[in-house]
Amino acid sequence: MTFLAPAFLLAGLLAAGIVLALHFIVPHEPRPAPLPTARFAPDQPVRAQTRALRPRDLGLLAMRVGLLLAVGAALAGPQVSLRRPRRTLARILLVDRSRAVAQAGEAADSARARYAAGDAVVLFDSGATTVRDQALDSLAALAARPSVPGRLSAALIAALQAASRLRETADSFELTIISPLVTEELDEATDSVRALWPGAVRLVRIAATEESPAPPAVGFDGRSDDPLRIALPPQSVAGAPGVWVRIVRGALDREDSAWARAAARVLVHWPPPAAAEPRDSSQEIIGAVIAGDVVVVAPLMRTTILAAGAGGGARVVARWVDGEPAAIDKPWGAGCIRTVAVGVPERGDLVLEPRFARFVAALVGPCGGRPALRPVEPARLVAPAGAASPRRVARRLIASPEPTTSPWATGLLLVALALAAAEPLVRRR
Amino acid sequence: MGRLAGGAPSLLDAVRGVHWPARRISGGAIHGAHPSKRAGASPEFSEYRPYQQGDDPARIDWKLFGRTERVAIRLARDDSRLPTTVLLDASASMAYPPASLDKWELAAAVALGLAAVAHGDGDPIGFATPPPGSVVPPRTRRGTVGHILQLLLQTAPAGRAPLAPLLATLRSSRRIAIVSDFLGDADELLEQARELAAGGREIYAIHVVAREELDPTPPPRQTVVTDPEDPSIRRALDKSAIPLYQDAFARWRESLAVAWRGAGAVYALATTGEAPERVVRRVVRS
Repeated sequence: MTFLAPAFLLAGLLAAGIVLALHFIVPHEPRPAPLPTARFAPDQPVRAQTRALRPRDLGLLAMRVGLLLAVGAALAGPQVSLRRPRRTLARILLVDRSRAVAQAGEAADSARARYAAGDAVVLFDSGATTVRDQALDSLAALAARPSVPGRLSAALIAALQAASRLRETADSFELTIISPLVTEELDEATDSVRALWPGAVRLVRIAATEESPAPPAVGFDGRSDDPLRIALPPQSVAGAPGVWVRIVRGALDREDSAWARAAARVLVHWPPPAAAEPRDSSQEIIGAVIAGDVVVVAPLMRTTILAAGAGGGARVVARWVDGEPAAIDKPWGAGCIRTVAVGVPERGDLVLEPRFARFVAALVGPCGGRPALRPVEPARLVAPAGAASPRRVARRLIASPEPTTSPWATGLLLVALALAAAEPLVRRR
Repeated sequence: MGRLAGGAPSLLDAVRGVHWPARRISGGAIHGAHPSKRAGASPEFSEYRPYQQGDDPARIDWKLFGRTERVAIRLARDDSRLPTTVLLDASASMAYPPASLDKWELAAAVALGLAAVAHGDGDPIGFATPPPGSVVPPRTRRGTVGHILQLLLQTAPAGRAPLAPLLATLRSSRRIAIVSDFLGDADELLEQARELAAGGREIYAIHVVAREELDPTPPPRQTVVTDPEDPSIRRALDKSAIPLYQDAFARWRESLAVAWRGAGAVYALATTGEAPERVVRRVVRS
């Protein structure tokens, strides 16, 4: 049995101890005896004395002590676990299945080698999914999602939740990350979330996807004199083999959609201003747009308002300086459709500038953005506090699961109520 | 009252033949066992009665002794009857000790014995206990003693009803026996008795005391004792206080005896443990 608020139990024990002491220590006036000739006894002060417990006093004392203990235990929130005895060690395995993983089979093998019945497996990419039952089956079917970047923060949060749920099943816990651990999997929240795990983390590094140094071959479906062509990397015909980025300047058709859905391809829909839907019958000129770490300051036309939307997995690739999305990715089958609302000026030399070329290069990257697959130095993640952090974390350091109403508390309160009702009757007797 | 119920037959048997002579010459016109003031007419022989301890030896018929070697007294019609009432204290102080009620048992037995003796002498016998008790006017009918026994068995000592007002109503009795521990309205009772004695009544004060009151067992440590009739009286009693208590109680008893005797009453002390028939004989011989 465990207690959610053991302080109440301690308070009950203390109160019971005080009652016990009062029965023995506090002096009482002796119980008077009848004597018809009492008036002839000298009128002297009555000296209080410590009374010896009589058998019925023991019953009253037990009743009072039991009442206080029952109230204390009830308020302490008893939790009785009827499960089987605890294991010595339980593992939480974070298995990376994002685009950073070169071989999903390697991740699955590493996980299976470490998995034992009762452990928790968390599969993560941009989100995290905890698998407890049929974990081995899930690992066997593990497949990397090449267009989805990984987010270690989400995985760590899932790991903390899994440990809390497993808290009563083991004496200690170990967290293992099976991942290439690349830069794009860390974000501003990673360090804070990592700090919530009270111990070191084991890292099993697997092979990362190779970052392609060369810009992708881009298929272009538009005018031959389109100024955007100037800023693009080497282009191919839209349907040429090996092309996995296609820019469509006009309307999308069914063939375009099917092309994007069929493989990990990016269909960039980048309508020029003339074909764009006017926003409130006028188009705005915005002074700057940002994609990743590339900033273009120029009077660019926002051709339309893009809604990143709730759900659907849409991801913002570029933003205007006022915060509105300038380009968004929406998953489309195995690939994605990227809509760009940045008007490319027909005149001027902006398209010749290197910064604009870098901006365009960011917009023709793979789905989910250009991967940042540089390996991360693991020390900050594995043992932030240095070598002193133990890898095995004791159960007591794991947060308790969300408290639930305990039937034991109700029963104890009823017992306390019965004792409270009976105590005056016994006392009077 | 278990002991009284079981012991009544032996008590009555033990006091059979005991006489309770009048202390004074009776002025009554009703013939009884007591010498009468009436003079002039020859006493008309009524019956012989065997001589018993306490009878006046002058009343022995020696002629009968010479004839029959029986010692008997001659009863004449001139002997007067003495209406007698036994007034029994039934207050809470008589219910002591709480476990055995020895005081009450002794007092009730003495009251029954005195009633039986008086009834045996042919005297009208009555009985009274304070409210909510009973009052039986003096009578000579055959079942009177049995009736008194029934009333005793039905009475449980409790409360603190005073005796003096009840005593004031017993003026028709020529002889009144008060059986009490005198821990209630002792002064008022004495005053009333003094008045009755001055009016020619014979007053008997039988003071009932428990052995535990005379000699309390020293408690191992200080005990608080309280008067069952007055809970405001609370005293601490320990080994050192017992001699003081006994001294005070003895002085009070002595003063009580002096006062009652001074009022013209017969005072007798009856202690639990003493056989009630012995107390009866001691009282009637006083």
